[in-house]
Amino acid sequence: MREERTGTRASGGAKGSSLSRFRPYCQLFFLLLFLYLFLGTAGGGADETARSVKVFLDLDPLLQGTAALAARSLPSDPSVLAALGVVVAVTVLLGRVFCGWVCPFGTLHDAVGSLRKGGGGRGRPSLFRVKYLILVFFVFAALFGLQTASFLDPLSLLTRSLTLAVWPAFVFGAERSLDLIHAASLEGTADLVGRALRGSILPLRQPLFSQALAVGLLLFLLLALNVVLERRFWCRYLCPLGALLGLLGRWSVARRDVAKGCDECRRCERGCPGGAAVGREGAWKGEECVLCLGCDDLCPKNAVSFGFSRPRSPALDLGRRRVLTSALAGAAAAALVRVETPAASVGGGALRPPGSLPEGAFLKTCLRCGACMKVCPTGGLQPAFLEKGVEGLWTPILVPRVGHCEYHCTLCGQVCSTGAIRRLSRGEKASFTIGLAVIDTNRCLPYAHDLPCLVCEEVCPTSPKAVTLVRETGGRRPPRPRVESSRCVGCGICEAKCPVEGRAAVNVLPGPGPAA
Amino acid sequence: MKEKIFTKKIEGPLWGREIERFFQRRGEAEKNLFTVPAAGGREMERREFIRTLLMLSAAAFLPWNGLIGAAEGATAADLAVCRGAPPEKATRAAVEALGGMRRFVGPGDVVVVKPNIGWDRAPEFGANTHPRVVAEVVRLCREAGAKRVRVMDNPVADPQRCYRHSGIAEAAARAGGEVVFMEERRFREVRLSGLGLRSWPVYRDVLEADKVINLPVAKTHGSSVLTLGMKNWMGAAGGWRGRMHLRLHESIVDLALLIRPALVVLDATRIMVANGPQGGALGDVRRLDTVVAGTDQVAVDAFAAALFGLRPQDVPYIALAQQAGLGRMELKGRVRHLSL
Repeated sequence: MREERTGTRASGGAKGSSLSRFRPYCQLFFLLLFLYLFLGTAGGGADETARSVKVFLDLDPLLQGTAALAARSLPSDPSVLAALGVVVAVTVLLGRVFCGWVCPFGTLHDAVGSLRKGGGGRGRPSLFRVKYLILVFFVFAALFGLQTASFLDPLSLLTRSLTLAVWPAFVFGAERSLDLIHAASLEGTADLVGRALRGSILPLRQPLFSQALAVGLLLFLLLALNVVLERRFWCRYLCPLGALLGLLGRWSVARRDVAKGCDECRRCERGCPGGAAVGREGAWKGEECVLCLGCDDLCPKNAVSFGFSRPRSPALDLGRRRVLTSALAGAAAAALVRVETPAASVGGGALRPPGSLPEGAFLKTCLRCGACMKVCPTGGLQPAFLEKGVEGLWTPILVPRVGHCEYHCTLCGQVCSTGAIRRLSRGEKASFTIGLAVIDTNRCLPYAHDLPCLVCEEVCPTSPKAVTLVRETGGRRPPRPRVESSRCVGCGICEAKCPVEGRAAVNVLPGPGPAA
Repeated sequence: MKEKIFTKKIEGPLWGREIERFFQRRGEAEKNLFTVPAAGGREMERREFIRTLLMLSAAAFLPWNGLIGAAEGATAADLAVCRGAPPEKATRAAVEALGGMRRFVGPGDVVVVKPNIGWDRAPEFGANTHPRVVAEVVRLCREAGAKRVRVMDNPVADPQRCYRHSGIAEAAARAGGEVVFMEERRFREVRLSGLGLRSWPVYRDVLEADKVINLPVAKTHGSSVLTLGMKNWMGAAGGWRGRMHLRLHESIVDLALLIRPALVVLDATRIMVANGPQGGALGDVRRLDTVVAGTDQVAVDAFAAALFGLRPQDVPYIALAQQAGLGRMELKGRVRHLSL
């Protein structure tokens, strides 16, 4: 923010000396930082993650705010509060600096938008308000206990899309390239590269996620809007975080001035990424300005300057009726979702990660960012579709058939920004129960077919084992597995490794066993 | 109407007389060893175990000591057992007693060392091969002039956690080994002898190495009674390994017939006597300070079975392996006994 000030000082001077030249570097820095943290959101065999993309979700006032509102509890993590404090303070003081200089999603929009000829332009005046109305919907839904902001919040959306779609697709591409090198009788090279990257850049296992296609497509469409409709379409008209930051920055002291020399050539207007610059003096839309300072550069008369002045509330007319409608819609959505039959009572639901809050609180605080799914070493954490009701879309569920919960692993709780998944100690994890294994005796090989198996017993990680052998006296039949419900933690490794084709012969059902 | 459950077709009777008998015998063997009279507690069980062990080792010691004296210099012993600590010294001594690593590994060899790194457990729990045994074998190979010593396994739990928390990744790398994760594309479907499996994906590096060294740890196992040397080859296999459990003992022998190690070094510095193969409690672990080295896969396993108070034929795959001509269970005159 220091840079901001030097920039404003310099803006009165020679053309091109403006700080705006540094903006792409700053954006690139934060995008790379985001990717660095994202890729580092992995255990690599260690008990603790070295880095976590959580940092970016920590500083998102929309996510944290609506989650806190819905759950009626403030973030307890002091580092989250500190990060939020910085973002809010900077925004209140200077406006949407975050959007123009920091937001990795905004940077992606700028990058994709550069494929389209022509800059910003004034845009479609009637659409600017859409993002505020979305925001109002989210806030009112949260007020009535339904947290929906995480579906469209840019940082959650980006993290989720990278986790579920972009990253797996990248790994797939890299592995197939290695296959090609391998097939082209360059095995040595392929092995060398494979071994060098395995465990660091390339994971040991191809990440697979349900809904990868849908989530990836949504990201693709949003980015494509930059080319099809206009640059930064998302940021201008749709982004609810941008709307919140715009509102927070309404009374900021940063101010754009147009001096007398302006001949209304409208170059600034055409080049404005936010659609905030209007040639005439006094028509600046502060809440749309992302402080890129580009108009200062573009002005041939050097009439545009940024400076500080006393806060002044610019006009922002959303229309009383529209705001009211959005608010009511948010409240109604909350009510409608609340009168859905709870997923648990319909189909038994699905397993939540270890350390998850009780279901109601979990749904209110989960940011649907997918960080837990990124970090899960077995890939068992998957985005829910309707397993946890409509409200549960994209929240994490453990699908043991895809991957079990590693007995000593506590990574998902470490990367959760809101504590929807609590951070467990190693000791707590060992006895934390997420479900109970139930043997399906109609499918189990020793029960149904008199075949020897006992894979479930072998892999059961508790000590003593929760899956034990029952040997028939006389020994005519193979021993059979039995679940000691008081010992079972529901990790699902038995279900994951069960050799029965299709649905396993042992299934973990949510909730603790009768003993707990 | 019968549901189709398996993708692989299995030939022959699935539930043979052989396996049936095994479960009966095994029940008896376990009754003798691990089960306790109604009044007894855990302490009783342990005492009984130690007594059995003492008796066994006493019985094992006497004739062998005499025999070694007579046999020394005549026929080369193909099994060496070293008792004592620390693990690296015992490992070195056992290998030296067989003629040293140079007998097995030549200059420029690419060696694959296959420890058991199957579980996310710390070394003291005895679920994986002791990292110091692994490191010493790597060191011995390097000293013998091996060009490369690759250390690998296909764990059951998350490989990164297993490699790390077993202590093997660090110890083996420090000793000069290349610790590598198995790559999906390097499994190759190979024909097997068909006792249990007609073909199965096996890791190429293991098949193509100049020399392979098996480095198992001795543990109990719910399905295979004990997991010893031959069972350790399941860690060189890919695919859905749970499927092997249908004809587990036969499958183990199929793999052991395919992969012929130059040397087996069995880690019995501590053995897991209950809750195997994963364990998780120190109470399941008995410290024996023993390292067994040998060239006959069957003999090594036969010897190791005795450490648990079992006869080799109590472990069906050992008997099956002898039947298949892989080696001999009879240990008389073959064991060289050392202590540090």
